[in-house]
Amino acid sequence: MRSDVQKGASGPGSVDIPRETLLAHTLVELADSLVADFDVIDLLTLLADRCVDVVDVAAAGLMLASPDGELRVLASSSEAMRVLELFELQADEGPCVDCYRSGEPIVNLKLADHDTRWPRFSPRAIEGGFRSVHALPMRLRGQTIGALNMFRIDEGPMREPDVVAAQALADVATIAILQHRAVRDAQILNEQLTRALNTRIAIEQAKGVVAERANLDMEHAFARLRRHARNHNLRLTDIAQAISSKAMPVSALDP
Amino acid sequence: MSGERRFRILDALVDGTNGEITSVRLCDVCRTVTDMTGAGIMLMSGDLPLGSACTTSDVSALIEELQYTLGEGPCVDAYRLDRPVLEPDLAHPSMPRWPAFTGPALAGGVRAVFGFPLAVGAVRLGALNLYADRPGPLTDDQHANALVMADIAAEALLLMQAGGSLGELAAELEAGSNFGYVVHQAAGMVSAQLDVSVAQALVRLRAHAFGNQRPIAEVAGDVVARRLRFDGEN
Repeated sequence: MRSDVQKGASGPGSVDIPRETLLAHTLVELADSLVADFDVIDLLTLLADRCVDVVDVAAAGLMLASPDGELRVLASSSEAMRVLELFELQADEGPCVDCYRSGEPIVNLKLADHDTRWPRFSPRAIEGGFRSVHALPMRLRGQTIGALNMFRIDEGPMREPDVVAAQALADVATIAILQHRAVRDAQILNEQLTRALNTRIAIEQAKGVVAERANLDMEHAFARLRRHARNHNLRLTDIAQAISSKAMPVSALDP
Repeated sequence: MSGERRFRILDALVDGTNGEITSVRLCDVCRTVTDMTGAGIMLMSGDLPLGSACTTSDVSALIEELQYTLGEGPCVDAYRLDRPVLEPDLAHPSMPRWPAFTGPALAGGVRAVFGFPLAVGAVRLGALNLYADRPGPLTDDQHANALVMADIAAEALLLMQAGGSLGELAAELEAGSNFGYVVHQAAGMVSAQLDVSVAQALVRLRAHAFGNQRPIAEVAGDVVARRLRFDGEN
């Protein structure tokens, strides 16, 4: 297992706390974060991180469909390029896109067995050290808006309680993206999806600025943006916008 | 089916053009895919020349002139608020807004008017201007088409700055390489290397890709891996 897909050593998963307790803690933490004007990307990144802690997986990512039905990565537990690429690849093929199209969970698929199903995705995922993949739908009243994607290093099946816990997290993600508001119609839903996806692009641009100025890799550049936002109780999106537009110098970010 | 709207729009853009870029065609496709009376593209960011990129009719041109002159209207709001602004019945609006814009627009024959922001991440370029000569809301299909169209138009505007062609953009968008986050990470890095805006950095990345006949995602990958710099300090 490589270091960039390891669970955070200081996270709650590193001590032997029962999963139910972890899940309860996580749901409380997420509920606390669902305050007015919260940052959707920050919350979903937290959710992906917690997914790795609560459920026995190495990496987790949330993919959201654009109004055109194309899947894009919105948040992931690891910013390692290798992992992001695996998520991105699934815009074309892979468990996430299959789950999104069918609206059904895809669990416990061993990668080696499915090279014909996903000829491009499977070899790359195996190369990345993963052996099994799982995807759960993000659903809103019968409509699937995206999927929660999880990678595991071993081939063993996900236990049923883990699947239930992960689906609960996927459901929270759906609520977060829709920002409490009752989605009255398809138009508002599409606008919110578009907005969330564009926000993620803005964050990638800001990561690039920070990576260059502070000589960091993308993972650490993102961590720095997030840390500053949290320390100062600011929205990650606003920090990203300020950095990208050079309204705020990178040197003003907390180290 | 995934990407269907996008492919339809891209097909319409390049159909019979041998890939040559024209903003007139871009505007015309904006109008036809959304089934509107008229369309235009307003540039409002300091990163690109301000002004109209194109309009399909005198009425669309009027809608833009009014907004540039008065500083109010659906496109101005869409750009400022960074979200679509919809007025399905300009003569009987649900909330009063744009006091100076509304009269002359109505006199020009505008009955419904819609503004969609043109943005690529933090890069905000302007707004897509759509109007109809009769009142009525956008259907869900028109609305979804307008969102996807705005996405493509924003990319196309940056591409025009890089001297590329719509044909190349279409190929890139169809290959999906354009959406790789690596392109946006690289744009951020190049903007810091050259001390230019992210919009200008995206243009430079594209121009480099065209100039060297390489996919933009590949060039971006080199930038992020620190194998390629744009400030000559290799």
